[in-house]
Amino acid sequence: MAARRIELMLCTGTGCVAGGAFRIKQALEEEIARHGLPDEVSLVATGCNGFCGQGPLLVALPEKIFYGWLKTEDIPFLVQEHFLKGRPVQKLMFTPPEKKEPIPLLGDIPFFNKQMLLVLRNKGLIDPEKIEDYLARDGYAALEKVLTSMSPEDVIEEITKSGLRGRGGAGFPTGVKWKVCRNELKTPKYVICNCDEGDPGAYMDRSVFESDPHAVIEGQTIAGYAIGAAHGYIYVRSEYPLAIKRMQIALDQAQEYGLLGENILGTGFSFDLEIREGSGAFVCGEETSLIHSIEGKSPEPRQRPPFPAQVGIWGCPTVINNVETLANVPIIVTRGAEWYSQIGTATSKGTKIFSLVGKINNTGLIEVPMGITLREIVYEIGGGIPGNKQFKAVQTGGPSGGCIPNSLIDLPIDYESLKEVGSMMGSGGMIVMDEDTCMVDVSKFFIQFTNDESCGKCTVCRDGSDALLEVLTRITEGQGMSGDMEFLEELGLAIKDGSMCGLGQTLPNPVLSTLKYFRDEYEAHITEKRCPAKVCKNLIAYWIDPQLCQACLICHRECPAESIYGEKQMVHVIDQNKCTKCGTCLDVCPPRFSAVKKLSGEPVPAVERGIKVERKKKPARPEQEKVQV
Amino acid sequence: MAKLTLDELRKKRAEAQKGIYLREGEFRGKIIVHMGTCGIAAGARGIVAAFLEELERSGTKDIMVTTSGCAGLCSKEPMATVEMLNTPPVKYGELTPDKARNIFKEHIVGGTAVAAYALGMGSERGA
Amino acid sequence: MLSEQSLNPRIGAALVVGGGIGGMQAALDLAAGGIKVYLVDSRPAIGGVMAQLDKTFPTNDCAMCTMAPRLVEIGRHRDIEILTLSDVQSIRGQPGNFHVTVKKRPRFVNETKCTGCGTCVANCPVRNDVQPLDVPRVELEPAYRDKVAEIVRRHRERHGPLMPILQEVNTAFNYFPASVLSYIAQETGYPFSHVYRIATFYNAFSVVPRGKFVINVCMGTTCYVRGSQRLMERFSDTLKIKPEETSPDLLFTLKAVRCIGCCGLAPAAMVGDTVYGKLTVKEVSGIANKYRGANGHGQTHAG
Ligand SMILES: Cc1cc2nc3c(=O)[nH]c(=O)nc-3n(C[C@H](O)[C@H](O)[C@H](O)COP(=O)(O)O)c2cc1C
Ligand code: FES
Repeated sequence: MAARRIELMLCTGTGCVAGGAFRIKQALEEEIARHGLPDEVSLVATGCNGFCGQGPLLVALPEKIFYGWLKTEDIPFLVQEHFLKGRPVQKLMFTPPEKKEPIPLLGDIPFFNKQMLLVLRNKGLIDPEKIEDYLARDGYAALEKVLTSMSPEDVIEEITKSGLRGRGGAGFPTGVKWKVCRNELKTPKYVICNCDEGDPGAYMDRSVFESDPHAVIEGQTIAGYAIGAAHGYIYVRSEYPLAIKRMQIALDQAQEYGLLGENILGTGFSFDLEIREGSGAFVCGEETSLIHSIEGKSPEPRQRPPFPAQVGIWGCPTVINNVETLANVPIIVTRGAEWYSQIGTATSKGTKIFSLVGKINNTGLIEVPMGITLREIVYEIGGGIPGNKQFKAVQTGGPSGGCIPNSLIDLPIDYESLKEVGSMMGSGGMIVMDEDTCMVDVSKFFIQFTNDESCGKCTVCRDGSDALLEVLTRITEGQGMSGDMEFLEELGLAIKDGSMCGLGQTLPNPVLSTLKYFRDEYEAHITEKRCPAKVCKNLIAYWIDPQLCQACLICHRECPAESIYGEKQMVHVIDQNKCTKCGTCLDVCPPRFSAVKKLSGEPVPAVERGIKVERKKKPARPEQEKVQV
Repeated sequence: MAKLTLDELRKKRAEAQKGIYLREGEFRGKIIVHMGTCGIAAGARGIVAAFLEELERSGTKDIMVTTSGCAGLCSKEPMATVEMLNTPPVKYGELTPDKARNIFKEHIVGGTAVAAYALGMGSERGA
Repeated sequence: MLSEQSLNPRIGAALVVGGGIGGMQAALDLAAGGIKVYLVDSRPAIGGVMAQLDKTFPTNDCAMCTMAPRLVEIGRHRDIEILTLSDVQSIRGQPGNFHVTVKKRPRFVNETKCTGCGTCVANCPVRNDVQPLDVPRVELEPAYRDKVAEIVRRHRERHGPLMPILQEVNTAFNYFPASVLSYIAQETGYPFSHVYRIATFYNAFSVVPRGKFVINVCMGTTCYVRGSQRLMERFSDTLKIKPEETSPDLLFTLKAVRCIGCCGLAPAAMVGDTVYGKLTVKEVSGIANKYRGANGHGQTHAG
């Protein structure tokens, strides 16, 4: 390929595609052609860049100038100014909230410069649909090294020494798992890549598939070599169509190049991979359940031992690893266990990808070394909480994890410390919650989730989650009773003890951890019938402050329940009996007035109809106010 | 396509690496072609093309070619600035594609500035 | 004062009905307390359901290992009399003093002489074979026939064919017509009950018809925290269907999904392969109209 002076790395991960990345791509191609630049400027459609909150986005190389929130209208200007005339366009650059100066360079943006990229080393730098790009970034060098100079035992030894632990949640040492499987006498053996990723709020596995599928293939092939398997499965959830498509392309290319299949690279080692899709069941992420799902059996977990490494799919020894675990393997092999084990903490080595989402300024995927503190993640990488709200908690580990409160913000993140505070690593979702999040509501949400997803095999898990849900629902509806909290705790511990698989054993965690750290919120719900975050519908009321209402009629018009009295010049009044508490009035009330209030735990002051509006100053034609929802 | 052997894989990788050097991010120097309206009118596009051609032919990987706006000396366009690491930048004016090739050979590859076309050494900002 | 016991003296023995693991334990406990026990079971042997199990939940203990010591103990216990092939006919009296009639069915084997060698079983010409019912072969309606047959043919020889077949059929028809499920069961050799179990287990499958456009509103944690509940309510209002329901014209199905992996864009919804991110309540009706329009009737999005 000819030399170029600019390469545009346009993110085409699911997030940016939803934001219109393919339209941007087309516009860029047209504009570049129009200016006669195709020989000088090239466009690469990469996988997820990570900074999903800024999408659709692109990075212009070689300077690495970062442009976010692109719109098709911006493209002609951008191409002419920057790519033709060399004047980077400030208004499209990233500007941190509450600051004025944009940060042009990707490397200077705090979201990026605090990260450490091992697994995501190729993110935003290669076209995931081109094997050549992966090769150019030393792709398949690890496989080459393994096949030419290492015995399977050497590989296992190296992985063991590196201290790599499973990224699927439990953190089981990967080398040990491989060794157990290798030592089994029964053949054939299998390797399964677990990309079921059912944790709501986590999407790093999807992102790895979409941005660097070959890294997973390479890691899985090495795993196959290490344990002596000739066949493997990639289990992906069907909610990820783009990931499935890119992985299939990558598999086809690897097969075409002979990096998969018979006699790989002429070394005599044969290995093949096949994609199997899940169909939307959280429990299928559990390894024994996943195996049943592929086999076409009823996808319920079974008792372990025997572990899948001993008796797995089709009754044969099977290694199941998470996507991220496998993607770590090539870099450990190329750079050595020694190097890898220097990263991280004493017990947790390497890096971990988190999806930093929720009430946070910079949403996206981040890869950070183990042992980083929550504070660094939330305030430095994440850029704090939007709208100057108060940070309340971070939820990690999905439905199996717990909420870590503000008071523990200096906690270093690794497997053990998270467990200690009653949460867990899980697959790496990190959902930030602010003062507007009700912790009782959140724990109800998680129990609803696990209650839905429980396969129903264990009584304590199936019926216990029902009982938890019932009590939590009652509390959020203002029907809480004294003794409820103690009951939740006792039942939670019983469910932990009595369940067979990880789903049941961890299902009470969100309840137990919120009870531990946010007991006052439960108490407010139960005794004062008040929801401090003003979320629980039965405990709140919407009310229009007669002092602030300027009679703009917007809420009167927008209310779907037609519960707002309003006339010109007259203070609007919400009919509490008709109000469905949908919150539309609060959304549409112009921020200059902010007359709609949420009340909780206090009587709603009665307001007469027909009070004249108190005009502070004449609002400028409020009827045509453009309302930001 | 036939399956690869080890050697072929290495060859393929080396070839692919040529295509992505811009992404590796380590550069020894930078050629900035000034592309204001004046520059483009005077033929700056041809200069860029010439530099890129040379870059490809020589297989150099650690030089970036970029553009910037008008340098404020419109009468001397097309112009280019060459910034090599640890040496003061050199501005060249009234370039032609041939001159550009010469600069590439002598300054970028050879390491000595081409005094004949140089307008000045160092940046006016003193950076 | 006379105690209740002296008024109603407990006399005689205890009778345990049912010789399963519970009955056996009860019999043993009673006998250990010095009470004569009759253990009645209508089957030819005690042991009940547990005798048929390999492992028991939740500890995965071997069932036989739990039972066998009790079986032996009951067999040997002088105070326990086992009445197999026996049915309780009537009970009279009150607690402490019952009169029970038990009817013993004939065994046709002299229990005192039988050594349990099993020769009679091997030589009996009548077999307890299960005769398969004459199930008529399922013939598919023309609307499904070719497509389903083709999908089944393509996957039948695979290891674990059921999931890929169901997935493709589900994508093709948006749901599983009952006849198609029977057909798949017949062609793959899985019992219908199993195919049905799988077809109803996964969230992506449905056994009732679904709309042409399935609107998946994300109810994952991030979207929830960012207010997807309200989106769902608005969709529900706009489409006039509740979550998990299908509109009568089979155009829309409204569904809650748990995270579609676009948490960076929360709150999000997905229709087909298209993701709508950072959705606001205001955009909901526009989206609905877009699909109504795409289907050729209804109004298109104005402006
Ligand atoms: C309810 C439940 C859900 C799970 N979901 C996932 C998942 O979505 N992805 C995953 O990789 N592991 C999941 N796991 C963990 C797997 O069972 C298994 O431990 C993991 O795939 C092993 O890989 P690792 O050693 O690389 O972590 C889940 C476990 C449980 C109990
Ligand atoms: S929680 Fe909605 S996309 Fe992840």
